[in-house]
Amino acid sequence: MTFISIEFLLFLAIIVFTYYLIPHRLRWILLLVASYVFYAILSIQFIPLLLASTAFTYFTGIIIEKQETRKQKKKVMLFGISVLLFFLGWFKYFNFVNDSLRAIAKYMDWNYTVPYQEIVLPLAISFYTFQAVSYLVDIYYGKQKAERHYGYFSIFFAFFPQLVAGPIERAKKLLPQFKVEQNFNYENLSYGMKRIAWGFFKKTLIADRLAPIVSSVFDSPNPTGSQIVLATILFSLQLFADFSACSDIAIGCARMLGINLTENFKQPHFAVSISDFWSRWHITLSTWLRDYVFVPLCKGKKKRSEIYLAILITFLVSGIWHGAAWNFVLWGLIHGFYRVFGDYTKHFRAKMASFIQLDRSPVLHKWVKIAITFLLVCFSRVFFRSDSVTHAFENAQLFLTINSWRPSGIVKAFEIFSLLDLVIFIFFFIIVQIFQYIERKNVSTWEWLSQRSIFARFAFYIFIIVSVLIFGVSGNGFVYGGF
Amino acid sequence: MRRLFIKLTIIITVVLLLFMPVNNFVKHSHDYNIDHAILAFKKHPYPVDIINLGASHSMYGYYFKPTGLSHLDLALPGQTIQYDYKLLREYGKYLKPGGVVIVSISQITFANSETKNVGNYYKILDRTEIEPFRLIDYYSYLYVPGSNSGSFNSALSGKLKNFKWNSHQPWANNGKNYSERKYAKVEAQYREAVENDNIERNVKQLKEIVDYCNEKGYRVILTMEPAHQSYQEYFNEEVMNRLVFQYLNALELDVPFLNYMSDQRFVDNRDYFIDPDHLNSEGRKMYSWIVYKDLKKLGYL
Repeated sequence: MTFISIEFLLFLAIIVFTYYLIPHRLRWILLLVASYVFYAILSIQFIPLLLASTAFTYFTGIIIEKQETRKQKKKVMLFGISVLLFFLGWFKYFNFVNDSLRAIAKYMDWNYTVPYQEIVLPLAISFYTFQAVSYLVDIYYGKQKAERHYGYFSIFFAFFPQLVAGPIERAKKLLPQFKVEQNFNYENLSYGMKRIAWGFFKKTLIADRLAPIVSSVFDSPNPTGSQIVLATILFSLQLFADFSACSDIAIGCARMLGINLTENFKQPHFAVSISDFWSRWHITLSTWLRDYVFVPLCKGKKKRSEIYLAILITFLVSGIWHGAAWNFVLWGLIHGFYRVFGDYTKHFRAKMASFIQLDRSPVLHKWVKIAITFLLVCFSRVFFRSDSVTHAFENAQLFLTINSWRPSGIVKAFEIFSLLDLVIFIFFFIIVQIFQYIERKNVSTWEWLSQRSIFARFAFYIFIIVSVLIFGVSGNGFVYGGF
Repeated sequence: MRRLFIKLTIIITVVLLLFMPVNNFVKHSHDYNIDHAILAFKKHPYPVDIINLGASHSMYGYYFKPTGLSHLDLALPGQTIQYDYKLLREYGKYLKPGGVVIVSISQITFANSETKNVGNYYKILDRTEIEPFRLIDYYSYLYVPGSNSGSFNSALSGKLKNFKWNSHQPWANNGKNYSERKYAKVEAQYREAVENDNIERNVKQLKEIVDYCNEKGYRVILTMEPAHQSYQEYFNEEVMNRLVFQYLNALELDVPFLNYMSDQRFVDNRDYFIDPDHLNSEGRKMYSWIVYKDLKKLGYL
């Protein structure tokens, strides 16, 4: 039962209906059972790990709080984090480290005997581990009280809308919302349904329509340079549509239950710099990394070089979090390098813009920055999408070859689509762009729509549902669901 | 709550009204009804002289009516050898004593492992034979096929046959573009099959089909349908050896193999083909006569 299924919609309808039917004191039981049932349907074998991690984090939180001195609290916190990261490391990174060591041993002609292990990655482990780590750290710093109600805490750990692929929430935001009685609210229900429908729209009409086309290029043994350029740009659109759809559905589901989750995206492909990009893309991960990796690393550091090192390490962690493979490590480092380079050359770039008089036309200047940022992000995604480091470097080389960018070559590369698929894709892509254009005017599209006539609103809702029903492609899981 | 209920009812009603013609459009499309001949046979079965199995090459390959043979075509597009076996078990009982089973071998026979159009079998096979079987997919495919984007796309593509890039037309560049794309697709499929150890499973399945035919007293032959020259530039001897013959020869089956892939009567003549690897009605008739005569020579008919 994935988000994109009739089963999930029925499951959600039953939960929402029951939620408002039963008294508040029983709702946590409903949410907890729903969350565990949802997880069990997707990955029953890892329910014990989820339960163990929940119990461990719960008790560790209480123990941290009970310690008298800061030093003791720190010790317990570090122990707790180490255990959580050990589980994450074992399941996610054991073979990565093992393979890397084996490759080094082979190169150095050493005897290395640790065999390859068949380890299946537990669903959502990266997401719930990060939530658990932030919980323990927040208790240590006194920003959060250790939760004593085991039921509420367990929901925080496994709340089904955001369990699989986030948003990564903080306890201080989520826990109080579970405890407050959520009354039936028409606006919440209506907004939640709209967000879910919009998520379905982006996932089935953009992301899953693009997925096989992008794969056909990246899986091809000899793609042309222009195909790589086009497929990489399309992959960026696919990834955004896929992940933001997942967040839309999560936010929509939670809102139907009266719970507000954190927004994860703010039109990242319209960012004017890499730092701006990271304040718009996977916001809950970016802020997590900022608060729990970057800020502690920068503590007491004043030198620019030390701050830059902290940036590089933070992005390295981001890369490793995304996937246990060297191409993700490189992807993280590329973004770290972008960020450092961007900061280092900030004044020089401003002078250059002034020198060529680009700053006299702010709109043009802004769009040039958006285009450059988007292309830099696309280049990094060559590493994100490629199957191995070798392929990533081959593809990156093709991406950077000037010939690959010849307009005639790019036009020819569009033949990776069938003509019919291309027309359908362009049509729905334009719809998404219009939606985003309205949002860029600092207006929520849903609010904007609510000010239109009832016919216009209903026409739009019906258009979304009919489009998903007829043209929607489903069957692929969410890209970030695999992390 | 009442407001929400009324709004939802209006939206759902309009969606259904708009959806109904789309659903009908898909329901009446050629691709959705691709199994109509088998379905008609299932409703009114009769004894047959010859059955052919296989994927689209075989489906477009045989038309025995002019020869006077009663024939059942059990080939469907992209059909895996597992479904060949399932269909044979289901419909083999209608074969006359000593009847012939044509098992079509193509470039994808051993590499093909995923049934993309499982819906094709919902009506013609028992539910227990369908893998993977999901109740929701089953009912939605049967009653609301318009909601299946694959079925809708196929129906739309069928209506807009010529709406393709010039370079994607079947005979663009004398069929070489088509053949090249098909080659890339088959190679990708083959790589995946090797990685997932599907080849061995498919080879074993072919052996099971032959054994099953022997056990039931069916006379079995293997065939390979004609293909245009442009196709053979990509699927040359070396490629075919790698994709097919290395596995087929290793099986050492004691059954005749009629390989018409490079048959000179077809190879240069575009008039016999819809595209470089599928015969048209003219080619089908001619080819079926040739197979008929060869079967006679072998003493199968």
